[in-house]
Amino acid sequence: MANFVLELSDIRKGYGPLMALDGVSLAVQEGEVFGLLGPNGAGKTTLLSIAAGLLEADSGTVQLFGQRLSRRRRDLRHWVGIGTQDLAIYPDLSPRENLRFFGQLYGLSGKALENRIEEVLTAVGLADRANDRAGTFSGGMKRRLNLAVAVVHNPRLLFLDEPTTGVDPQSRNLIFEQVQALNAAGVTIIYTSHYMEEVQALCPRLAILDNGKVRACDSLPNLLRLLDTTIRAQFTRPPADWTQRLAALPGVKQLRQQGEEFELVVEEIGPVLGQLAQECVTAGVALQSATTREPTLERVFLHLTGPELRD
Amino acid sequence: MPIVTLAAKDLRLLLRDPRSAVILLLTPLLLILVLGLALGEGFGEKPDDRLRISIVNLDRGLIDPMAYPGKPWSEVVIDDLSATQDIRLEIIPGRDEAQRLIEKGRRPAVIIFEPEFSERMTRASFLGSSEAVNPFGRDGIDFAKLRVTILTDKTQPVSASIIEQLTQVTLLRVVIPWMIGKAFARVGDDRFMEQVAARLLDVKPIPADVLAELDPVIQKLLAALTNDPDFKLLVLKEFSEAKGSNILEATKDAAVVAKRTPEFQRAVHKAFQKRDILERLGREIAFGEVLTPSAQKQVGPTVKRGVSDLFSNYNFEATTWADLVHSEARAANDANRMEYRDTSGSGLLNRGALRYQILVPSYTVMFAFFLVLSVGWLFVAERKHGTLIRLRAAPLTRSQILVGKLLPCLAVSLGQGFFLLVAGRVLFGMTWGSRPELLVPLVVSTSIAAVGLAVLTASVARTETQVAVYGTLLVLILGGISGSLMPRDLMPEQMKTISLVTPQAWALEAYAQLLASPQPDVGVVFTSCGVLWAFGLVLTALAWWRMDLD
Repeated sequence: MANFVLELSDIRKGYGPLMALDGVSLAVQEGEVFGLLGPNGAGKTTLLSIAAGLLEADSGTVQLFGQRLSRRRRDLRHWVGIGTQDLAIYPDLSPRENLRFFGQLYGLSGKALENRIEEVLTAVGLADRANDRAGTFSGGMKRRLNLAVAVVHNPRLLFLDEPTTGVDPQSRNLIFEQVQALNAAGVTIIYTSHYMEEVQALCPRLAILDNGKVRACDSLPNLLRLLDTTIRAQFTRPPADWTQRLAALPGVKQLRQQGEEFELVVEEIGPVLGQLAQECVTAGVALQSATTREPTLERVFLHLTGPELRD
Repeated sequence: MPIVTLAAKDLRLLLRDPRSAVILLLTPLLLILVLGLALGEGFGEKPDDRLRISIVNLDRGLIDPMAYPGKPWSEVVIDDLSATQDIRLEIIPGRDEAQRLIEKGRRPAVIIFEPEFSERMTRASFLGSSEAVNPFGRDGIDFAKLRVTILTDKTQPVSASIIEQLTQVTLLRVVIPWMIGKAFARVGDDRFMEQVAARLLDVKPIPADVLAELDPVIQKLLAALTNDPDFKLLVLKEFSEAKGSNILEATKDAAVVAKRTPEFQRAVHKAFQKRDILERLGREIAFGEVLTPSAQKQVGPTVKRGVSDLFSNYNFEATTWADLVHSEARAANDANRMEYRDTSGSGLLNRGALRYQILVPSYTVMFAFFLVLSVGWLFVAERKHGTLIRLRAAPLTRSQILVGKLLPCLAVSLGQGFFLLVAGRVLFGMTWGSRPELLVPLVVSTSIAAVGLAVLTASVARTETQVAVYGTLLVLILGGISGSLMPRDLMPEQMKTISLVTPQAWALEAYAQLLASPQPDVGVVFTSCGVLWAFGLVLTALAWWRMDLD
């Protein structure tokens, strides 16, 4: 039986006439990195806020570590960390002071706290700037400190809301590595980002949210399967039975023709391309052009949420 | 423990915020300093339109303590001054202090009764003896002759002149009756009459007109004499002795004299009509021969009474102005005497000036409430930096978050209150009054009220601009109503009553008791503290209810 650290059941939340969340149900297993995608205004931040106990849902239930989250169960928050979309650090305090303050709020103290502070500072690459005012830091350094603050108290569940927004590639890479390291250490992570490649690389399972509803929630491969893998090709003087011969190639699931262009829907591109080349030689047909198109998370995302601009 | 953690963090942030230090500590000090230098000495004192007369009394008093007036003449003058309406007297302890006040321009003039003043007053006389002192000069009293010195500030000529003239008038009122009384006591006395007689001896010849006017008197005398029986006997006796005791002859002669007396009288009368006779007679006698010692004794008192009758509107025997002019005596008025206090302070900063007793508490109270800005910005910054989300996500209750924020604000407010009182003492020489220990509960109570107002403002304002606008308006308006911007004593009574709707007014009432009153009314102080606590608790409760942490 799966061990869920977070279970959301039929969560509804409205802001006046606008339904930010409309019956959202999700479950996140312990130890996984769960991706949460959605266009602007889809309800991601609202969902994270409710899941972290920052916001109360109009209806539905939130279970953290198998316990129903409520105002009275503040103890559950000891195990939750939040990496907010906007920075949430004190610019007039140093990284060490920020970490000490938030560590103490979660009950850490003494040597354990100091050791943990050093560990986290080293992890996010701020050990040499530990005593400088955070307000003087670059955007990337602030982002790394924001992550450090979120994990200083050793949370079991970490919400990361667009943690790499506005940072340079180096900082993004470091954050990325830290997320992987945290997950490797057993931390369950719920990760939202507009960077599809990040989610695709980090999250084996994810949900796509739009207009307050879950459009899809599955493993990454299954989501990718929602779109076809295709090879588009044009040939010189194809024989009359060329269509049948292409459709009969192993691995071709479907064949569509538009004018002189043939589109092969395939299981995998590589084997089919080899077969196609062999068939051209056999039939004496010259391959004029060929383009391949594999499904990506971005294409899946657009496929599910549509191309309309969101404000 | 989380509350302590929160409080320590906010306290650290507040202490690192230069705006807070400037607003809460530096600005009130600068305002106190500027106003302390700019405001006049009278600032903070109850309005008193009476003219202030400053006196240094060095008078040694009377040589004979039992002599008139029975006390130093300087006291007589001071009593007379004190009886004058619309003036207030202050006795300055010494010449040096007076000199300092004049040099600093803090008094337009100071009257100094020198040590010899009583002695010179005693000798003041119209008589021309070597002992007598004539106190009069061209402008009235010649102050130097009476050993009165008037120090004046040349930059305040009008005020100095008024005080000088007032001194003139008062001294005249004291000196003139004393001198007239003394002089009139001499009129008609033996020595006076001897001097008159001696003078009259020189009046020779007696003018014929004067002798002619004596004719009726001579006639009366002759008539009375010749009709007097004893005179007749004397005549008979004289004639008898001249006739060798021949009584008969003597009687005949006397009868002839008696019979011829009318003719003799007529001849005398005619002689007094003849100028050449009278001129010859006048050369023979002088007026002084008539004014014999016995006559002098008879005439002296009569002359005195005559003069008194002639000037019946005055009593020349009096020694006071009231008796001299037959008016009601001017009673000395102790209410017009005031204790001398140097309220102007000393040094560049006017340390110890009375105005600091008003300015320091006023601005301590007003700027205590500027805590609204620091606290407001603290709350706004928590939202702006997104850290409020972290606090809400942490295992903290709303109460812990709010209390954790209240405590450092209270600590800062307390620190500010005590700092300004200490600075007031160290920098400006302000005194802490006779009950300094009561300043502690007052500072605490003021801080409680200030924190209440601050968190209420923070619960309403969402941005730094709102905090600045709401906070500044609120503090300045409440400061104006309460009397923080001006001495409360200058406010109309009705406004004073209205001002009690503000916590600042209660705090100022208590500070006035502790810092301005020699014997503070402890009841007023504790009542004020109680009201300030009530303000603080009610405002905090409102803020608690209003505060939105979401």
